Amino acid sequence: MSEISEHIDQNETLIEIKNLQKAFNGNQVLKDINLTIKRSENIVVLGKSGIGKSVLIKCIVGLIQPDSGVLKVFGREVTEMNQKELNDLRTRVGFIFQGNALYDSMTVRENLEFPLRRNKIMKDTKLINELILDVLDSVGLLEAIDKMPSELSGGMKKRIGLARTLILKPEIILYDEPTTGLDPLTAREISNLIVKIQQKYKATSIIITHDLNCAKIASDRLMILHDGVFKAKGSFDELKNSENSWVRSFFETV
Amino acid sequence: MSSYSENNSIQTFLTELGGLSRFTVQFFRELFRPPYEHKEFLKQAYSIGLNTLPLIGITAFIMGLVLTLQSKPVLEEFGAESWLPGMVSVSIVREIGPVITALICAGKVGSGIGAELGSMRVTEQIDAMEVSGTNPMNYLVVTRVLSTTFMIPILVFYADAVSFYGSYLAVNLHDFISLPLFMNLAFDPLHFYDLIPATIKTFFFGFAIGIIGCYKGYYSEKGTEGVGKAANSAVVISSLVIFIMDLIAVQLADLFNVFMR
Repeated sequence: MSEISEHIDQNETLIEIKNLQKAFNGNQVLKDINLTIKRSENIVVLGKSGIGKSVLIKCIVGLIQPDSGVLKVFGREVTEMNQKELNDLRTRVGFIFQGNALYDSMTVRENLEFPLRRNKIMKDTKLINELILDVLDSVGLLEAIDKMPSELSGGMKKRIGLARTLILKPEIILYDEPTTGLDPLTAREISNLIVKIQQKYKATSIIITHDLNCAKIASDRLMILHDGVFKAKGSFDELKNSENSWVRSFFETV
Repeated sequence: MSSYSENNSIQTFLTELGGLSRFTVQFFRELFRPPYEHKEFLKQAYSIGLNTLPLIGITAFIMGLVLTLQSKPVLEEFGAESWLPGMVSVSIVREIGPVITALICAGKVGSGIGAELGSMRVTEQIDAMEVSGTNPMNYLVVTRVLSTTFMIPILVFYADAVSFYGSYLAVNLHDFISLPLFMNLAFDPLHFYDLIPATIKTFFFGFAIGIIGCYKGYYSEKGTEGVGKAANSAVVISSLVIFIMDLIAVQLADLFNVFMR
């Protein structure tokens, strides 16, 4: 495990998952997931497509209900939260969707205003504008403020999706394949941006990815999900040089 | 085999009915729960009105004109031409105006809502709304259902007025009649108890179009095919529901008429 995570292990536990299970139509996607994440830790989850990585992070924000197990975020059991508590949780946990999920009938400004006006009950237009400019500056897209999502490139959409999440200043950010579908250069830019965001906002993050570059740049710890359980855990270098040939081959083939 | 497929379709029908009922209950639960998205409601109402106005206008005008031209020879045969405006107005106000307007709106608005919400579901925009702490049921569904519920009756009044004008022009194609006299003859047989049931049922038509469109879109299956299916089934189901509601409304209106007379 890296020095960073060892140091942070002494801090508060933000996410605690024990024996988490989830099945869809008899297909057991998550069999026995156990995971503890401390504040400011950055975890990357690797695994084949369709193995249940996205299901795991959707369970964390209450988008999918697990079948059984313990799922605590900020010390509270997510499955026992009512709608208001879930909404409060969701203002503290940001989620970056694989397909960006920008509201395509709204401009970039309106996309960013949307969570802000609804959650912070913010009426001060000047303050809202300042926040929008601040997050757009953080993702390096100030010039896109009045554009529609359809006018943006794939990389720009990723950045705006990130900005929309950052505007609520979440303590945890969940990234669902942030570099999928991007060319290698843009993917690297997004990975570097994730690191920059982690440093600037001191956010804890779980990154679901296939991109080994992204995993290398942005992770403190890596977990490999296979057959509903975490088959391997450790730092990037530990796993890459693992004695287990299956783990090593995974790194060569992904 | 045939009994299996029959069982399967009955099961699908009952599942859909159960799902729609649950969705409707959820709608009423969210209806009175803040925040009230009045801006989105007005935006939707404006968009529904503006988008359907030309189509409803043209259709209503043609319906008024054609109904008059078709009925004229029959009434002429027994010398009852002076009843033409009254007969047309009763047909339009009681039946043709509400049903034609509702069917057009089911096609244009219902499919639009189904496709919009369906594509939002497929592209995870509804999930994004949920994870940003906004209740999508409140923001997307309540606003759209309320706007169809309140806009369809207004559009029906507009359709009735345009149909009257179409009918007036049709009468004047062969004979001459002044507009005040035409209106006088048209409104003469119309009573309070013709207008009230006809107006009340349009609110239900609007509600059905909105709730079915939202339901099909909101629970659209993944993929572009799912969006197409959502839009298509929103139109088919809401058109069918409009006819069923109309059938019930006619029976209730008859009871109302007996009571009022």
